[in-house]
Parts: sequence; structure tokens; C-alpha cells
Amino acid sequence: MNIAILSGKGGTGKTLLSVNLSYLAENSVYVDCDVEEPNGLLYYKIDNLEQESVLTKIPVINNDLCDGCRICSDFCKFNALAFIKGKIKVYNDLCHSCGGCKLVCPQKAITEIDNAIGVIKSGQYEDTFVLSGELKVGEESGVPIINRLLEESSKLNKTVFIDSPPGNGCTVMESISNADYCILVAEPSIFGLHNLNMVYNLATVFKKKIGLVINKTTGDPIINNYAKEKGLKILTEIPMDFELGKLNSEGEIVSKIPKYKELFFNILETVFKEVN
Amino acid sequence: MIIALPTKTSGEKSFISDHFGRTNYFYIYNTETKLGEAYINANKDGQGGVGVKSSEFIINKNVEVLITPSVGEKSLRVLNEGEVKIYKSIEKIVKVNIESFLNGELKELF
Ligand code: SF4
Ligand code: SF4
Repeated sequence: MNIAILSGKGGTGKTLLSVNLSYLAENSVYVDCDVEEPNGLLYYKIDNLEQESVLTKIPVINNDLCDGCRICSDFCKFNALAFIKGKIKVYNDLCHSCGGCKLVCPQKAITEIDNAIGVIKSGQYEDTFVLSGELKVGEESGVPIINRLLEESSKLNKTVFIDSPPGNGCTVMESISNADYCILVAEPSIFGLHNLNMVYNLATVFKKKIGLVINKTTGDPIINNYAKEKGLKILTEIPMDFELGKLNSEGEIVSKIPKYKELFFNILETVFKEVN
Repeated sequence: MIIALPTKTSGEKSFISDHFGRTNYFYIYNTETKLGEAYINANKDGQGGVGVKSSEFIINKNVEVLITPSVGEKSLRVLNEGEVKIYKSIEKIVKVNIESFLNGELKELF
């Protein structure tokens, strides 16, 4: 079973939920797909992490064979190739490794080499298996890393909790592609509503089962009203709690503490019921 | 010398575009022949790396000087490679920008 946790913006409690739900669930996997800003490992502190590079292919041009026809640079829709001063230049960080330029080059002047775009770290924390991806700074797309993370996690045959990237871009779509359930996290404010609407639309486009968690509730009904209007199930409301916020910001897994455990446990139970 | 400017409309009376990569037109002016020509930016709605394409376009028009309000980091790499000098535009029409540049009144960006 795959459960994705999403929010329109970072810092709304997405990681808090992903970490605590995966911690409480038995036989679980936590996958940090927020590859531009992974912070799951701040909670899951693991001493001997395994590390592996994620490689993609990028083109190299053999200038002896290239006749400067520019078919490749016209072809590349990511604009990763440019013809400058008589030579084709490759801008690695714009390349999406589609392999197209190599196919279209009439002179067979293009070959491919491996390019490391990031790493995957993994390890065991109590009975939770932890996977975390990290995109190299300056690289354009985290999609290949997310694909690898999901591939690894699906091999394990466990309950997988996916900490999705914020927003509604390609990486988010990739991260929820195999999800059986999406938990949306939102804060009660106008901005919170705007961000929620964004991820809600995404999750409904993909026809996912959805539940909502309202974090840091203050009594403002703005999100509750939205949920009612859309017929969206509210899994729980997490009240504004200074102590919880502090412990969480210090990298504590708060569901280890009895008084917070129930809060997350209830969410887990509801979600499991909804999926089965 | 050949000068390029990203422009909102197509001519020497156009204002300068705010975004080099996604500009509507490029105005390219030859100081020797005193002739200028406007080109549509065919890549303006590209998915990404539009600055690379814009830079490539003007470099292949043998441009030596670009007058623009700003350039992105990706464009900058390409422009440097093509040895294009970059000057900061003023909020006036193309013609005035070119005159100011020729009078040495524009500042070099970077
Ligand atoms: S592999 Fe694809 S994205 Fe990369 S340079 Fe070639 S055509 Fe462009
Ligand atoms: S398609 Fe091949 S021959 Fe043509 S410019 Fe590209 S690398 Fe050179």
C-alpha cells in the first residue's frame, strides 16, 4: 500500500505527518521524495546510511564528426543544446536525458555518458525502512531520483509513506502516481487555502482517494468550509501546540510521546480503513 | 559592431522587454551600416532554458553587445561563451538606448 502526503507549500507539516505515520505503522517504509529539500533524515537519525548515486545519461559531442547542422539543438525541447562559435555546447543541468539528440544526429557525432544528478540514502530505523533522495544543487529535474526511490520502495512489499515534494509540478505527480491514498496537509489561512486547492486539484485529476489534515488550527473555519464544499474528508485537526512545534523543530519523532501518539494513530486507522 | 536588444514590440521605437529569454522580439542593429532589424523570438514560450536559446540566437547573428535590463544565470553562461558584452538598458525606447550606449552612457552588467 502506498500513501502519499502532500501540501501546496513546504513547512505546512507534511514531513511531520509522513514521519510520524510511518513511525507508528508496522512494517513500514518512509520515502522522502522532497528531493530539493529532504529533511526526513533529521527525524530518522540513522548512523550507517547506505548511499548510492543516481545517474542519468547526458550527451557528449564528437566535434570531429559534427558538421554543425544544428538538427540536435533544434530538436532538444529542453534547450539543453546550443550552437556557439561553431560548436554544439551541452548544458547538463537542462538536459532531461531523453536520448533524442543522439537518435536524430545524422553524423552519429553524439554519444552518452553517465552524469550523477543526486544520491539516494537508505537505512533501517527500528522497524521502519527509510529512503531519502537528494538532488544535486543546480540540477533541473528530480524526477529520475523519485522514480528510483519509488522503484526501491515498491520492491519491499511494505506500507509505504511518501513525503511528496511541495507544489504541483512534475515531481509531485511522479510521487503520487502509484499512491492508493493521498493525505493533503493544510494550514487555516487564505494562503493555506490557495495551496490546498492546488494539491486538491492535482489529486482529483489523478482520481485518488483523498483525506485532509488541518495543521495548526486556530478556530478559523476557512479550510473546514472548503472541505465541506468539496465533500473532502477531514482526517484530523492538529491544534496549534507550542510544545509539539518545538519538539518537532528539534527533530523529535513526536508520536513516541504518549500524549501525541493517539493523534497520529487515529489518522492511520482511518486511512487504512478507507484504502481497504 | 552589432548590438542586440530584447524588445516588447518590433522596431526602433519599441520599449525594452523585461525578460531577455521570454522577450517578444530582438532588435539587432549594425553600427556600421546603421541598419536595424527586428526578429520574432521563436522560443519565447519554451518550457525551460529559453535564455539559452535566446543567447544562441543572438550569438549566431554575430552580436557583440547586448543591451538588456537583466539576464538569468543560464543565459549568462552562454553569452560569456559567445563573448557577448552585456550592458544595462535604461527605461527608454530602443533608439535612445542605442544612442546612449554609443555615447558611453550605459553601464556594463557583470
Ligand atoms: S538527451 Fe534529450 S534533453 Fe538531453 S540534450 Fe539530448 S535532446 Fe536534449
Ligand atoms: S545533429 Fe549531430 S552533426 Fe548536427 S549539429 Fe548536432 S551533433 Fe553536430
